[in-house]
Amino acid sequence: MTVTTHHHTLEIRNLSVRAGGMEILSGIHADIRCGEVTALVGPNGAGKTTLLLAILGLVPCTGEIRFCRAAEHGKGAPRIGYVPQRLDFDRNAPMTVLDFLALSSQRYPVVFGHSARSKRSARETLARVGVDHLVSRPLGKLSGGELQRILLALALRDDPDILLLDEPVSGVDLSGEGLFCEFLGQIHSESRFSLLLVSHDLSVVSRHADRVICLNRRIICQGATTEMLTPENLEAMYGSGAHLVSHGPADGRGHLHPPPAAGGDGNKRD
Amino acid sequence: MTVESLPDFLFSAMGRILPFGFAEPLFMKRAILAMLFIAPAAAAVGVPLVHFRMAFFSDAIGHSAFTGVAIGVLLGVHPLLTMVAFGLFVAWAITRVKGRTELSPDTVIGVFFSTVIALGVAIISAQKGLTRNLQAYLYGDLLAVSGTELLWMGALLIAVGVYLFFTFNKIMLLGVHEGFARSMGVPVHALEVSFALVVALVVTTAIRAVGILLVTALLVVPAAAARNVARGAVSAFWVAIAIAVISGLSGIAASYYLDTATGATVVLFAAALFAVTAMLKGMFRR
Repeated sequence: MTVTTHHHTLEIRNLSVRAGGMEILSGIHADIRCGEVTALVGPNGAGKTTLLLAILGLVPCTGEIRFCRAAEHGKGAPRIGYVPQRLDFDRNAPMTVLDFLALSSQRYPVVFGHSARSKRSARETLARVGVDHLVSRPLGKLSGGELQRILLALALRDDPDILLLDEPVSGVDLSGEGLFCEFLGQIHSESRFSLLLVSHDLSVVSRHADRVICLNRRIICQGATTEMLTPENLEAMYGSGAHLVSHGPADGRGHLHPPPAAGGDGNKRD
Repeated sequence: MTVESLPDFLFSAMGRILPFGFAEPLFMKRAILAMLFIAPAAAAVGVPLVHFRMAFFSDAIGHSAFTGVAIGVLLGVHPLLTMVAFGLFVAWAITRVKGRTELSPDTVIGVFFSTVIALGVAIISAQKGLTRNLQAYLYGDLLAVSGTELLWMGALLIAVGVYLFFTFNKIMLLGVHEGFARSMGVPVHALEVSFALVVALVVTTAIRAVGILLVTALLVVPAAAARNVARGAVSAFWVAIAIAVISGLSGIAASYYLDTATGATVVLFAAALFAVTAMLKGMFRR
């Protein structure tokens, strides 16, 4: 999957984020290269989501985030696609999938109806992820997997340079997860963008990522996936006793099980 | 036709459209026109406000008007001016602090809410004779709206319309997820601040109609009622506007015959329509 020529690179240099007197991230150095899948792994509260928000420019930070690209591959600020872990919107909001898609594809307010162009664009976007039958469903009534597919399709619609995926398989059942990852691999081999993927699921990471960044408020280690997911590194990140176990059918699908003592606190902190 | 003669023109047109006893007197014509300006503006801002779960914010701005009026009287400036200015200031301050702290938004708003009220009470208690002035602001005084105020309300409706025309989609995206909106090119911070200021303008203007105590209802109740029956964004918006205008006009008419406070009667009609839509929702669900 690795592409040797890098059209662009996102360089993160000495990035630190403080909030409420606490250092959430400190001294982050990392490169996210075009055509590669970079996985961001770490325990809950490690600052994974915060790093994505810093790249999006939504949290105040010190240090530098530079986007470098050769002149022949386009100019200007990078387009960043982002699929959040979950949407925290009001599930009763009167908004159909078409309304939601039209919010970003038409200039005039959706309350005046949908333009022919935004209807066509919505159908194309949904068809790309195989959910065109959802177009007139209320957004709040979709399953986690359906919603993530739509968000992914929207993030890909504008041809991003960098795609940030936060826990793409949370809230999706295992069969949906396989589909999601397969779809992602396909999209990624067709387009030339860099993918930064936050995941708890080390089986997903080992199957899809070219590089891994292990994070726990600072960078524990980074490098090629095969070299990084060693027992020593896992222990440094999650505490002693952490190990990969497989469950379900014996297809190598392993999930990380943190040690019992360390697993009890703050599971929802990240 | 000059700007000054605009209300007169509208009044004569209104006489033909509304040939009812209650719409005869000039002060009633003014009240109706004021309501026709304010109710749709409040409901239109109310739709994204409810989407953002900002009802408490609008309540805090409403109560800041209390202090704004007190400051105006204290300084010898027209209370309307200080009320609007102070409301804008509080809206800006809340938005700034909210963005720079780990505290939840309602905690930040709660702190501002009580500080602002305390300041208002302190000023009023030191200035004897101020209490009478405040009555009109606490309960609203739609029947005493002046020609200048009418023009201001009309201008506000237009300004809100223009603002929402250009920002409505982005505001709704922001309400779904901040990071996602940002990745779709929405200028998150500029939009948060500008929307807070527009809400403050609408709230402080609407206080003239329904008073500090009830102003949030004018923004929230129509949008909430519309949510009961609407499936998509189009119907949610227009049902909210319709409910606001219908309850505004019927509230004015009813208060004329029942001799009740206009603002309160308008809000009661809106609440009744909320109850009706809630029942309709129950019927459709079954």
